[in-house]
Amino acid sequence: MSETESSDGRRIAVEARDRVRFEEEALELSDQVYRVARRLVSSREEAEDLVQETYARAFRNWRSFQPGTNLRAWLFRILTNLNIDRGRREQRAPAFEPIEEGDYFLYNRLEEAGGSSDEERIVERLSQDEVVSALAAVPHDFRDVIVLVDIGDFSYTDAAQILDIPVGTVMSRLHRGRRVLKHELAEKALRA
Amino acid sequence: MSGDCGETGPCAKCEELLQPYVDRELTAEERAEAEGHLAACGYCAKRYRFEESLRMYVKRCCEEPMPTELKERLLSLRTPLA
Repeated sequence: MSETESSDGRRIAVEARDRVRFEEEALELSDQVYRVARRLVSSREEAEDLVQETYARAFRNWRSFQPGTNLRAWLFRILTNLNIDRGRREQRAPAFEPIEEGDYFLYNRLEEAGGSSDEERIVERLSQDEVVSALAAVPHDFRDVIVLVDIGDFSYTDAAQILDIPVGTVMSRLHRGRRVLKHELAEKALRA
Repeated sequence: MSGDCGETGPCAKCEELLQPYVDRELTAEERAEAEGHLAACGYCAKRYRFEESLRMYVKRCCEEPMPTELKERLLSLRTPLA
């Protein structure tokens, strides 16, 4: 075997090993990827398609991932780009009426409504279905940020990189989005 | 940002710091300022704790295990070993 052949062989073996490691590490994150995808789109089927496409693209483009950087953020960037590209979000967020209520609004309403005023138990008055449907009612641009930060546990900086928006925009969307979420939750909880 | 907000209603600063406080995104200095206020103001302390509980509760409500079948489909996307 010539020297070139043996060095090619080594290169191929190293590449195969790196690829296997990359795929394994990416798959270890799949539960988190699914959890976030499930809240970015409206149906389970769409979420499954989105996750599958994300992994197909990640495995195809694995060489463009720089080892040692944040793989989780890299995968979620693919996920959110695919979600936007596929036009699932083609309806832009409607011009949204600013919510007048302050940040303490939901707590104040729940407290007024009576029952336990234990602030750590009071949330349990909201049912799981109410929470999930209230989140689904938040306009896309705001919801993407809430889902990445609250469900994906990303920092503001990571969420900004994933969505390709400034950190200040992450903060303002998060703030407005959470107000919308609380407004929706109050409507649902107090209607009952 | 001093005293109890229960009488006057929360000041703008309390609301401004609420979100980044709960997200642990405040600088050390801002965090100390928020904590100093929370130690003195039961009104805000309750609402900050509620906000933290709400955040965790939303996350818990959104837990949904990945379907096994999808997990298998992802495994099938792996590059076959030569």
